[in-house]
Amino acid sequence: MAYHSFLLEPISCHAWNKDRTQIALCPNNHEVHIYRKDGAKWNKIHELKEHNGQVTGIDWAPESNRLVTCGTDRNAYVWTLKGSVWKPTLVILRINRAARCVKWSPKENKFAVGSGSRLISICYFEQENDWWVCKHIKKPIRSTVLSLDWHPNNVLLAAGSCDFKCRIFSAYIKEVEERPSPTPWGSKMPFGELMFESSNSCGWVHSICFSASGSRVAWVSHDSTLCLADASKKMAVASLCTETLPLLAVTFITESSLVAAGHDCCPMLFTYEESQGTLTFGGKLDVPKQSSQRGLTARERFQNLDKKASSDTANATLDTLHKNSISQISVLTGGKDKCSQFCTTGMDGGMSIWDVKSLESVLKDLKIK
Amino acid sequence: RRTGEALRAFHTAIRSSPGNSRNPAMKEQAQGTMLKVLTSFKSSEIEQAVNSLDRNGVDLLMKYIYKGFEKPTENSSAILLQWHEKALAVGGLGSIVRVLTARKTV
Repeated sequence: MAYHSFLLEPISCHAWNKDRTQIALCPNNHEVHIYRKDGAKWNKIHELKEHNGQVTGIDWAPESNRLVTCGTDRNAYVWTLKGSVWKPTLVILRINRAARCVKWSPKENKFAVGSGSRLISICYFEQENDWWVCKHIKKPIRSTVLSLDWHPNNVLLAAGSCDFKCRIFSAYIKEVEERPSPTPWGSKMPFGELMFESSNSCGWVHSICFSASGSRVAWVSHDSTLCLADASKKMAVASLCTETLPLLAVTFITESSLVAAGHDCCPMLFTYEESQGTLTFGGKLDVPKQSSQRGLTARERFQNLDKKASSDTANATLDTLHKNSISQISVLTGGKDKCSQFCTTGMDGGMSIWDVKSLESVLKDLKIK
Repeated sequence: RRTGEALRAFHTAIRSSPGNSRNPAMKEQAQGTMLKVLTSFKSSEIEQAVNSLDRNGVDLLMKYIYKGFEKPTENSSAILLQWHEKALAVGGLGSIVRVLTARKTV
């Protein structure tokens, strides 16, 4: 696994360009820095300074090469590369709280922004006024929207919120697209229509992800659960109470396999068994280095007993690659149906690239369906 | 006193936990019963009891353990700590997280 330490502070969010040669990230401040891979090194080539608050979301449209960023300053900017300079265009979101997440739609003619204003701003470009405008999806969201993911049909949008729910809305904008054809989530999709709402979790929904086909949606919540809704099974929800600390990010890597990571600082595999409608834990994906097992001195044993009431010799230092919580996962190659590489960034300021084939050969019991 | 009795009492208490009840008297009675059952176990019997539970049972047990910590009686905390150790080994930190995030307390 390739690990690169960019910063000594958390990476707030990141996004990759189409050919994965450049990464845009927020170094825990009001800026976005773009790094380019040159051989084995990463060189900073741009600094985007426009936001007046921490940048909470970045998305890089692969085809049009535009960046969209959103921040706690309640603004979003669409950035276009003109020559060698990134030029920002302000998008008025009409929100009175921080923006928390942003995602381009698959056709890149819209983007969605989740915010603390308990609504989602769907933004599209109005040709005649040469201006980005937005429409709001409000009902029935009751708290901050933390995560968003688009369905491949460019219309349906999944949203995870601090009101413990995962919802799928229609973000159909008649000005920019044709009427969508029916999907397993429903046939009538006027703007703002609620197609699905979950009921299980007792925790803030940190991250949400559609499968490549769009017929499944998975989400992770702060109550240490992972859930999946399957539209082909009448939107039945499978959930797993994990033994881990809460997960903060999740993505599909095949139609039935998921990788999630969070406060345990380590990506983990989960498998969805369609026939039984169950989710199972498939193992940790971080192979710790074999640290030399030296015995404890009598003094250390006593201190352990005193501090932790246990005499076991498991060490208290992290032997995972990331030394702090992983906050974001992105698919690099292969797409969400045949992912061959994915990337994690975290609060340790590091970025790691994981190779699925290598993981399969090193971790003998790993079964990726 | 046979081990089987304690184990049966334990499963009964877990099964009849008033999950969705808002009635404070009922919940308090259930807590009291559960505490009695948990403190009646010998240390060596705890692990077997925990292993006989499913995932939801372990989560529920963890909720009762923390409830027991909240209102300690003489010697209750010592035995509860032993239950905690065994429940943690099976349920992981996730089961403790769910005690903190649960909307419906036991």
